[in-house]
Amino acid sequence: MTRPDQLKPREDSVPGTPYDAFVVGAALPELRFTITPAIVEEYFDSVEADRSLYKLDGRLAAPPNVLFPYMTVPLYRKYPPIQGIVMAEVEFRWRNPIWADETTDMVVTGKVADKFEKRGRRYVRWEAEWKRADGTPIASMVNTFHVPS
Amino acid sequence: MQREIPIDQAKIDLYGKINGDNDIIHYDHEYCLKRGFRGTLVHGPHLSAFVCDLAMKKYGKDWFYRGKLHTKWVGPVCPGDKLIVELKDDGSVVERVKDEVTVIGRAVLEDR
Repeated sequence: MTRPDQLKPREDSVPGTPYDAFVVGAALPELRFTITPAIVEEYFDSVEADRSLYKLDGRLAAPPNVLFPYMTVPLYRKYPPIQGIVMAEVEFRWRNPIWADETTDMVVTGKVADKFEKRGRRYVRWEAEWKRADGTPIASMVNTFHVPS
Repeated sequence: MQREIPIDQAKIDLYGKINGDNDIIHYDHEYCLKRGFRGTLVHGPHLSAFVCDLAMKKYGKDWFYRGKLHTKWVGPVCPGDKLIVELKDDGSVVERVKDEVTVIGRAVLEDR
């Protein structure tokens, strides 16, 4: 499957996960998916990216941030979202390009890194490693979001 | 360097289509008013993506191999807003609507 909406549970499609149910240290099931040229094209348009900037030695690459729509998939497959989640912060470290003209098989692993309360709000922090199926590292990620009570 | 991006619900919906979510915080105006926001919210990663063209201009091909983007979403961006996205010489990122800061962070290259 390729599209994020094929991969992630949508809000209200299944019972969502309250804050108390997140387990710090819990590994997330390995996620495998493909990023197709069509998805890359759609992503260029959805974020108003300038294609001319993403040429690498004459070959068009995807914006590294093409992973953003997939960002929550590894987590939400284990912990389906409740309504009203608000993202707090994210850090991505990119390691290799994803090409715009070929299909890329991806593998993602991750875990829940932390959960905490701050100024009366409850937060979950989790991290993931994004690689090609052949093991080539693509990105590392840490994401924190607010879970409404 | 900076760019200016007018925001409307159609852009939120377009991002939502590829993002594949159904979180009413991005689509239900009345719900968002009840939550205390001015309107529906642009997805956080959508806001972060606006920085990346600037990072590509600044860093070129190194951005694919050594780029590190950290963004913290600190204020809402809603339909009708005119978003200013700025990447400063030191790599710090600021996005704002009028005088209100909505995103802070850094877009830098890591040593490898």
